[in-house]
Amino acid sequence: MHEVTAATSSVDVKSPAASLPRTHAKKPRRGGPARFGSSVPFYLFVSPWVIGTVLLTVFPLGYAFVVSLTNWDGLSPGFTWLGLGNYAQVLADPETWASLGRTGLLALIVVPATVVGSLGLAILLNQKVRLRAAWRTLIYLPALVPPVAATLTWKLIFDRDAGAVNALTGLFGAEPVNWLTGNQVFVVLAIVLFWGVGAGVIILLAALQDVPTSLLEAAELDGASAWRRFVSVTVPSISPVLLFQVVTTTIAVLQTFVPALLLSPMTGPAAITSVPIANRLFMVDVYSQYFAYSRYGYASAMLWMFFVLILIVTAVFFRLGGRAVFYAVDPNEEGKK
Amino acid sequence: MALTVLVPIAVLLMLPVFWLLSTALKSPQQLSDPSVALWPSPAHWENFLTATTFIDFWPYLGNSLLLSTVFGILTTISSAMTGYGFARLKGRGKSALFAVLIAMMMMPAIVTLVPTYLLFAQIGLVGTYWPWVMWGIAGAPYLIFLYRQFFAGLPKELEEAAILDGCNRFRVFWTIFLPLSRPVIITVFVLSFSNVWGDFIAPNLLLDTSNTTLAVALAGGYVDSQGHPLNQLVAAGSILYVIPVIVIFVLAQRQYVQGVSGSGIK
Repeated sequence: MHEVTAATSSVDVKSPAASLPRTHAKKPRRGGPARFGSSVPFYLFVSPWVIGTVLLTVFPLGYAFVVSLTNWDGLSPGFTWLGLGNYAQVLADPETWASLGRTGLLALIVVPATVVGSLGLAILLNQKVRLRAAWRTLIYLPALVPPVAATLTWKLIFDRDAGAVNALTGLFGAEPVNWLTGNQVFVVLAIVLFWGVGAGVIILLAALQDVPTSLLEAAELDGASAWRRFVSVTVPSISPVLLFQVVTTTIAVLQTFVPALLLSPMTGPAAITSVPIANRLFMVDVYSQYFAYSRYGYASAMLWMFFVLILIVTAVFFRLGGRAVFYAVDPNEEGKK
Repeated sequence: MALTVLVPIAVLLMLPVFWLLSTALKSPQQLSDPSVALWPSPAHWENFLTATTFIDFWPYLGNSLLLSTVFGILTTISSAMTGYGFARLKGRGKSALFAVLIAMMMMPAIVTLVPTYLLFAQIGLVGTYWPWVMWGIAGAPYLIFLYRQFFAGLPKELEEAAILDGCNRFRVFWTIFLPLSRPVIITVFVLSFSNVWGDFIAPNLLLDTSNTTLAVALAGGYVDSQGHPLNQLVAAGSILYVIPVIVIFVLAQRQYVQGVSGSGIK
């Protein structure tokens, strides 16, 4: 995110507008002593966010950490301190690794598909297309559908009796498949997530439109093919946005919970315990430890470990991506792929 | 040329919507009859009416509307303030705070949600709408970032004249900067509104059946006496549930695209 901090253009309150005519009288400045006083407006403006973050993010996370050091079940007033016992247990439990593996697999499938898909769609929309806004809206629409509705929609499509998929395969004489169990349900989950591919299209389309046409024209004059122009001019140019898309999509997929929960055959409180094994992602596991098994301490440890994992994944992405991403504003950086 | 690929893709993406509509129009008998595929005849449009009476549809819709609007308005203003602070004001520790803001954009929402529920349960805020008020006042990192990018791009001279005239910072923000940021305001409102409208986990954890949102009611409400889902009602209810968000987006489309790409991540 180098270019973000490089672009900071905050107004210097203290320096008078030298370009204004001298005849304009200068009113006395508000605030106390020079250093401290000039910070006050800034802090006043950002205080809702700072206070809100402390109260609604820092405190809860801290509270969860404390709980993770106990064996509290969420109900009884009594509990025992376990130190890091829960963490050890989480690491030792094969179920943890199984759900982590499923979650990682989901990300491995959905993230490249989604990023490449939305890039491809953005490229298509970037051509001189008639009614571009209409196509863009149609493509983006599924991403707008709330996750609850999207999941229920696909659940209906893959329904064993009333679903479109089995109706279609039935035309060719196939037996109806129960898509919502076994390993098939994992595929359904991936499709639900992939349906929102249009979400990144708007940002990527804007990035594509910012690729300097002068560079593209120069490359074309030099005899570069369309593919070569894409790889050497377009991709480096949009690489900060691409990186952002990869990171945010990865984080979003890793924390998938609602679609996995709602694809389970039961509804209501029984849903969480009847999630098919293939869809028991990490957050599904965390949720069930909290609310199905009342192991608040254990689940909090899982949650904290997941939080740290996401931080590490994000850091790794940005570190790796930092080498591959080309920043137009930084003349020291070489465009690499 | 691009159209030859775009059209089939758009059709593929829209197919689930068509299937949803066709399911909504079927009777239970038509649903289990494999020969009735695309469009049922007779089409049971009354399913939409049944969907609104089978569960307390309108009260739940009202709750969703209330929460989404309150949160949307609060966040739109609060995020603008914070974004303005980062863009146009100076302060000690500002770059550190900004780094925190960027980091928080990457924070998985669900990680803080369950602990927040735990905390709120201790202080009796569960079952109330106050969490959304608090979240609204705090603003959201990505939305703050959108505002910040936009405000940073405005000319430096904008506040100088006003300050020399004795305007205080808040008036400058409120009367000059905020009105200029209309596309971002609309984008932020649309995003935050649809976020709460579509949210399942927070109302599922924090609210009970008397005051929960449509998202939760939809997920578990259309079941018969044995707990089996009534698919035609699920479909009809889903369609009704989705319409407001789609309408808002279509109306705000131009501003939304401008807001996201103009003050984008680049």
